[in-house]
Amino acid sequence: MRAATWTGVNEVSVETVPDPQILNDHDVILRVRRTTTCGSDLHLIGGYIPAMRAGDVLGHEFMGEVVEVGRGVRHRRVGDRVVVNSFVACGSCWYCRQELYSLCDNGNPNPGITEGLWGQSPGGCIGYSHAMGGYAGSHAEYVRVPYADVGAFVVPDEVSDDRALFASDAVSTGWTGADLAGTKPGDVVAVWGAGGVGQMAARAAMLLGAERVLVVDRVPERLAQVREHVGAGTIDYSQTDVLAELREATGGRGPDVCIEAVGMEAHSPGVHGVYDQVKQQLRLQTGRSSAVREAVLACRKGGSVFVLGVFAGLVDKFPLGAVMNKGLTLRGAQVHGQRYTPRILEHMARGELVTEHLATHVMPLEEAPRGYQLFKDKEDGCVRAVFTP
Amino acid sequence: MAAPTLLDRAAGLAGAAGAELLRRLQHVRLPGAGQASTTDDPGTAARRWRAVTVLRPPAEVGTGADLPAPLAALGERVEVRVTPAPGDRGSELAARFREPAGEEDLGRLRAALREAKQLLEVGEVLRVDPQPHGRRAGTPQGAALEGAAASAGKEGVL
Ligand SMILES: NC(=O)c1ccc[n+]([C@@H]2O[C@H](COP(=O)([O-])OP(=O)(O)OC[C@H]3O[C@@H](n4cnc5c(N)ncnc54)[C@H](O)[C@@H]3O)[C@@H](O)[C@H]2O)c1
Ligand SMILES: [Zn+2]
Ligand SMILES: [Zn+2]
Repeated sequence: MRAATWTGVNEVSVETVPDPQILNDHDVILRVRRTTTCGSDLHLIGGYIPAMRAGDVLGHEFMGEVVEVGRGVRHRRVGDRVVVNSFVACGSCWYCRQELYSLCDNGNPNPGITEGLWGQSPGGCIGYSHAMGGYAGSHAEYVRVPYADVGAFVVPDEVSDDRALFASDAVSTGWTGADLAGTKPGDVVAVWGAGGVGQMAARAAMLLGAERVLVVDRVPERLAQVREHVGAGTIDYSQTDVLAELREATGGRGPDVCIEAVGMEAHSPGVHGVYDQVKQQLRLQTGRSSAVREAVLACRKGGSVFVLGVFAGLVDKFPLGAVMNKGLTLRGAQVHGQRYTPRILEHMARGELVTEHLATHVMPLEEAPRGYQLFKDKEDGCVRAVFTP
Repeated sequence: MAAPTLLDRAAGLAGAAGAELLRRLQHVRLPGAGQASTTDDPGTAARRWRAVTVLRPPAEVGTGADLPAPLAALGERVEVRVTPAPGDRGSELAARFREPAGEEDLGRLRAALREAKQLLEVGEVLRVDPQPHGRRAGTPQGAALEGAAASAGKEGVL
């Protein structure tokens, strides 16, 4: 089959690779109908997560049709149209039973790498490096899905492929942040990052009853999408002082909930930005955290800050004093997709959650290298490149 | 020696180096980075109980030859202890070597505990090979990573 692979830092190719096989009784094989780029891929492709091997198949946000089922699969059948969560979760361990699916004890066959780094190993993620399990990704004609009864959800007829696709990762990630940050009716929520994840965190916060939601970014097309398709307000950080804007918008209190959806390659203007870039290149820090810093400083006393952006190791100049003295709750997580996908699909079916606008560039799989270039450079208004293998 | 053989050999060495690197990472304590399994000397570390928590009642975990196969396979060399875990978390399944053990032995024990847990909780051990992949460039970094991944089931802080 054909597949888009990582072939080196900032290098994506399309190659002919072997077809995937059923390896475990709980597996299914999917014929991929839609698969898309995620901001997380940029951290991999750029070499910030050095656990990729040349030839690894990329992609973890996808949907398709079941073409083969393992002997142990109970609830999925050949022909089912399903959307699949990016994290691999067994459904049976204590973490899965607590609905903390991305913390699954049994989803990462390579736990030694992340245990060494973080003290414990979270679950594995499809198409996301050898540190997260070494699974081949979804930018291919076919993909193996382990624990399919737990992580593959049948898409209701009313929901199109183009909409369902983003339930896989962008929407479920946004929902994870908005929900676990404790968003409740009456809250003011600020979101950093207007990519697919930030936009969907904003939408989830609205559906959870937030009174007012504001999204911070500097890319005009993305901010326009937030206003038009998400229905939230926007702040362009390249044009104004974000902390002052947020104080003004909240009667001086600061937002109740601050969700960071930017990640380890956060941009920041001026001397701080240069400092972070240099330290990251020298490997003295593994992430640039300017958006998290700003979220901590913006947050109201006793409020909640959620880190959705991906970080791998150390960051510098973290305002721990503000966390402590303002009594903040600081939390983060990889996506607990299996927990939220059923209700996300219901909202999608009712037209309350639209995602089609994220797919700004739809193209054949053969054009994946161009798709990643557009996505990385945010050229031509690209928010997500979607491949149709 | 033919070039491909040389390259193969270099890749083989790098793979072993990757596994070794991962093994070392366990014993490094950088402030804030990495998480050492222990600052124990290797002798003490080898005698420690290694434990996983399994979401199954102790009676289902078994004893002796009834333990899940990967643990039972270690036979009399290891001592196994099963106790109820607090807060409805199932059982704490712990094991340690009776006699002094080396890194290889500890690796086998870690893998056996993880596999036993999966057999008890899910009924099968998750596999990842073979996976579809494109052309692997024969670089030492690639081979080192492959070595690290291949040994990752045997490493970690467990
Ligand atoms: N937690 C999870 O499970 C999970 C899942 C998916 C993605 N992610 C992570 O979420 C992050 C966002 O993903 P995405 O797909 O939306 O990525 P994306 O690259 O499409 O969007 C990131 C956005 O952040 C903006 N940005 C950069 N610096 C900023 C700053 N200082 N302040 C405000 N905005 C800034 C960029 O302009 C861009 O629009 C990434 O780090 C990704 O790895 C996490
Ligand atoms: Zn993602
Ligand atoms: Zn689990």
